[in-house]
Amino acid sequence: MAKTSPMQWIAALAFLAVAIAAPFFMPNNMSQLVDLMVFILIALSWDMLGGQMGYNSFGNILFFGIGMYLVASTQVWMGGYELAEYNSAKGGNLESFTVTAPIFVQSLIIGLLAAAILNFVIGLIVGSQLLQTRGHYFAVGTLGLGVAAGEFAGTMDFLGGGSGMNFIQPPDGVNLTQLLYFLGLGVVAIFFVFLTWLHRTRFGFVMNAIRDNEDKAEAMGLPTGRVKTFAWAIAAAFAAIAGGLYGAGKNFIDPTEVAFSLPTVGVWMLLMPLMGGKGTLWGPILGAVMFQLFKEFFWTYLFGWQRVALGLLIVIIVVFFPNGLMGGLKAISSRLSGKSGKGEAA
Amino acid sequence: MKHALFAGAVTLASAALAFGASAETITLGAAVSQSGKYSTNGMHTINGYNMAVELINARGGIKVGGKTYKLAVKYYDDESTPARGAELAERLIKQDGIKFLLGPYSSGLTKAIAPVTEKYGVPMVEANGASRSLFTNGYKYLFAVLSTSEQYLASAVALAAEMAQAEGRDPATLKLAGAFENDPFSQDIRAGVLDDAKKFGMQIVVDDKLPKNLSDMTPTMTKVKALKPDLFVVSGHSKGAATATRQMAEQNVYVPMVAMTHCDSADIIGKFGKAAEGILCAAQWAPSLTYRDDLFGSAADFAKAFKEKYGYAPPYQAAESAAAVEVFANAFERAGSLDQAKVRDALAATDMQTFYGNIKFDKTGKNIAKPMVLFQVQDGQLKVVAPTKWAEAKVVYPRKRN
Repeated sequence: MAKTSPMQWIAALAFLAVAIAAPFFMPNNMSQLVDLMVFILIALSWDMLGGQMGYNSFGNILFFGIGMYLVASTQVWMGGYELAEYNSAKGGNLESFTVTAPIFVQSLIIGLLAAAILNFVIGLIVGSQLLQTRGHYFAVGTLGLGVAAGEFAGTMDFLGGGSGMNFIQPPDGVNLTQLLYFLGLGVVAIFFVFLTWLHRTRFGFVMNAIRDNEDKAEAMGLPTGRVKTFAWAIAAAFAAIAGGLYGAGKNFIDPTEVAFSLPTVGVWMLLMPLMGGKGTLWGPILGAVMFQLFKEFFWTYLFGWQRVALGLLIVIIVVFFPNGLMGGLKAISSRLSGKSGKGEAA
Repeated sequence: MKHALFAGAVTLASAALAFGASAETITLGAAVSQSGKYSTNGMHTINGYNMAVELINARGGIKVGGKTYKLAVKYYDDESTPARGAELAERLIKQDGIKFLLGPYSSGLTKAIAPVTEKYGVPMVEANGASRSLFTNGYKYLFAVLSTSEQYLASAVALAAEMAQAEGRDPATLKLAGAFENDPFSQDIRAGVLDDAKKFGMQIVVDDKLPKNLSDMTPTMTKVKALKPDLFVVSGHSKGAATATRQMAEQNVYVPMVAMTHCDSADIIGKFGKAAEGILCAAQWAPSLTYRDDLFGSAADFAKAFKEKYGYAPPYQAAESAAAVEVFANAFERAGSLDQAKVRDALAATDMQTFYGNIKFDKTGKNIAKPMVLFQVQDGQLKVVAPTKWAEAKVVYPRKRN
């Protein structure tokens, strides 16, 4: 990665300023804004492997879903309730499972941290095995992860099984969407700074070397296995946080349709970097913003055809901007300034 | 800087999403599945809502506090996923300024939406979320016109016991096989069936959880074939009913009594003909029931009008949806105001008869005034066989071998 230009820092600060101001300008769109933060997180997280390292994973939804269940469970535990009892309250009375506002906020944050740590470990374990495969084999291998996890969670009665699980209701005095939004924004900021730093380290260079030519990298004596596994574990931690935030926002977990939902979030998380430009720092962010914006727009104005429109848009982007929006922007700007755009890829 | 501009554009563009409702109309909001696995039942739901809304408007609308209003419904497609449903409820309330909601299709979607309506104090009358778990959360703004899920197949289990006794057999010797989709609704059905079976001391020989969107249940069929139960219970929405009916015939599985949910909306008679013969179907409503109201007339009148308009006989999903609109209209008039809290109180005090059945809510918001009915497929027709008050035919037991 080239040095970070002042332009990029200005852009980052501007983005941050707009993001902080957004809830005050559009208080009625809070749940869409929370989703946007979640999408940025998972897009960046997916891009660590898919973009920077050339390993296309369909399995990151695994961490997303586990994170969601963990955050929900932590909130129940810290509220002083038994998980199995809480979830069997189908016949009981969820109304009696209440928590105070401080406990609610603390348990949410601790839940997110716990989800990040645990999924980091799961990422290490799963990654150490799966990342020994490459290319299509890796992609297909990861495809099974989310599907299996969804079915598995559906059999766990203490997690509510196929009936799903409700998050604990936020007590009065907690503005849930605002809380989730700023938590999400905070994590996005941390992740962004972390990635900016990471790509300037040796670790980051090895990641790119693996993408460009893994055999050569290995022959040079680079620790490819270790880098791959740790990169995935880091991505897993952030995907888990995204899952926790998303679930808390939706308030209800269905094992296959909310937590481990491959056809929706599981696919979106790789579409967004593709749209924005994978393998770049801003690409996934731009992709997530664009995706959420177009999704909601098509939804509002092309009702009934929203999926078709979104699909067409994706086809257009892939065909005309194979490097995503970032790639397109770079090509244009380098043509304008007469320079070649090379050396900026990372 | 481009990025900053872009992010700014996000702010502006999304702010433009909101728009308001017109003055002389009460707009109800509804997120209903128009795509995805619930799209068929979602269509029945929407047709039911529209039917009632159009008729009410054609009769001059509703009078609220001396002013006359027309009704309208703003629909969104929840794509059959709970995450989308919750999001849309929020959108209807916060962005579109909708003050009253009609329910979605299915318990899962209702479960996802109810916390949202509760949070904003928006009254919701729903017609298609039957899971018991909806009514144990202390929700104050949720009202359901339908009977809850544990009642769906209880009558079938009782019927099996009754038939056994008539044959001089102890119901405790009966073997029961069950296959239930792994979703909130069917798992509730399962809980109800197992409770009832336990009451009679029946032996449960198969108890399968089936994946969602099920199109194959061969493993269950193999077990049922080998273990020869006396009663086979299936619950898996329309798709489950169709799959079970088809595969029982294909794989030559015979059980003397078979009971299901959703066989009318799955149209098992039209699709599978003779294979459907003798199957028992739990239903919320039947056109032959003797309820009536001023808007639609009798249950049979509703069925006729519906068929003329939409070209197919109304499954109960359409009937209960139409009833939900009637309940709202009735509550608006009694409340004499469009204040959400007042309408909520009026809804809680509802005590009326509709073509769909009597409606009176208990304090958890579920309708306690209407029983379920049990159909049986007899000579290619759905005939009510229980409860006895409305029975059009005697139950055929054991069902004929094909």
